[in-house]
Amino acid sequence: MSKKIIQIPLGSQHIALLEPVKFNFKCENEKIVHVDSDVGFVHRGIEKACTTRYKYDAVGYVVARICGLCAITHSLSYTVAIEQLLDAKITEKAKYLRILLLELDRIHSHMLCLSHTCENAGFEAMFMRIMGDREMIMEIQELLTGNRVQFDFISIGGVNRDLSPAHAKVILEKLKLLRVKVLEYVDEFNNNWSLSLKFKGIGQMSLDDAYKFNAIGPLARASGLKLDVRNEIEYLPYKEIGYVMQTELNGDIDARNRVRLNEILNSIEMCENVIEGLPEGEIFTKAKGKPKGESIVRFEAPRGELAYYIKGSGKPMLERVRIKTPTFASVPAFSHIFLGESYADAAAILASFDPCLSCTAK
Amino acid sequence: MKKIRLTLEDIKVKVAEFYDAKVWHFITLNALLIENDKIEIQWMFSKYESLEDIVVYYVEVERDIEIPSIEEIVPSATISQREIVDMFGIKIENSEKGLYLDKDSIEMPLGCAI
Repeated sequence: MSKKIIQIPLGSQHIALLEPVKFNFKCENEKIVHVDSDVGFVHRGIEKACTTRYKYDAVGYVVARICGLCAITHSLSYTVAIEQLLDAKITEKAKYLRILLLELDRIHSHMLCLSHTCENAGFEAMFMRIMGDREMIMEIQELLTGNRVQFDFISIGGVNRDLSPAHAKVILEKLKLLRVKVLEYVDEFNNNWSLSLKFKGIGQMSLDDAYKFNAIGPLARASGLKLDVRNEIEYLPYKEIGYVMQTELNGDIDARNRVRLNEILNSIEMCENVIEGLPEGEIFTKAKGKPKGESIVRFEAPRGELAYYIKGSGKPMLERVRIKTPTFASVPAFSHIFLGESYADAAAILASFDPCLSCTAK
Repeated sequence: MKKIRLTLEDIKVKVAEFYDAKVWHFITLNALLIENDKIEIQWMFSKYESLEDIVVYYVEVERDIEIPSIEEIVPSATISQREIVDMFGIKIENSEKGLYLDKDSIEMPLGCAI
């Protein structure tokens, strides 16, 4: 067969995409030999708004709107950066409740990604099953925050709502049921050909390439790179509540699925430990002063490292808010992974990255 | 956070000396407006599996100076270099405009006071 280079775009509107991103593939027959990416379709100028439209104590609620899936991670990263500048002391109870919400974010985000992986494999029933079960997490979030998405739960100095014993009981029951469901998914992902063999060796990234392209999140951990911000921060007591880093070695779609499944199980365990070991005390401590100086805070969002750089000058308006989002930073790694793969697998590979264009176009 | 000031001439050499891809993780490139219409450019790194070990290299430059690219040393820096070029209207070696901004977009939205 002669080698003919053809160009095939994927996006900005595509059946496999929920949000606008465009990859321009150059293919030699079926094989992808070059990739150009375009992520700039819906930029919202949020960094600018954070320093020109809103005072520092409102910005936490603005950045929560960057993403519907990791709203808590955004508002918490910003809030902790401000708390560092104000030298605010946060109670243990508030820290535990913050972890609870962070891990719930991770569970429902990973479930969304796994359901789309099933959809890309043509396993529509499994897609609907996972999305249906995901409702349990949405209901827990509504119990805790009042909203299914876009929660304003984090505030400078603590959190806005306490956990009642009645809600704690309901949440523990739902988490127990969810664990059973996720163990069933593990069985499906191990034994169903559409979800296991089909994805083995596809969209592979070696450990060396993960280092080279600064891979983050499940993408990195599926290649064996031990990078998880939860392991590198002190602001939240992750070690106390049973956090265990989940890694795989093959670096393919199957490995990413396994990392996410194991992380869901670990997050469920952490949520249960948080509720059962919730410290007594206040959920909020008033922080005084205005932010002055620089701080960098990182958190592990469902897709990987989220970083906030804040600079304040002791005035209500901040001088700079810089947001590094996981999907945006991973675009060079994504482009590299596509090279050498078959175009027919491009949509499934892209879904396995779990891209978030809301975060990217912040 | 440990901040280390560099000069434009130093950047590539110092980052190449410092950066071991298996020890240091590149977080991102940042820019901010500072006094006298200058811009501060920051390269942020964190150490793998270490608690809060963050190193920031930075330079303070005039707006119209071309900043050296570190993409040969840190390939993943390309995308944040292009973002900063668009947002601040500055020049970075081998980083073309147009990642986020279209031809009719506001020029350098983060590089102006409006």
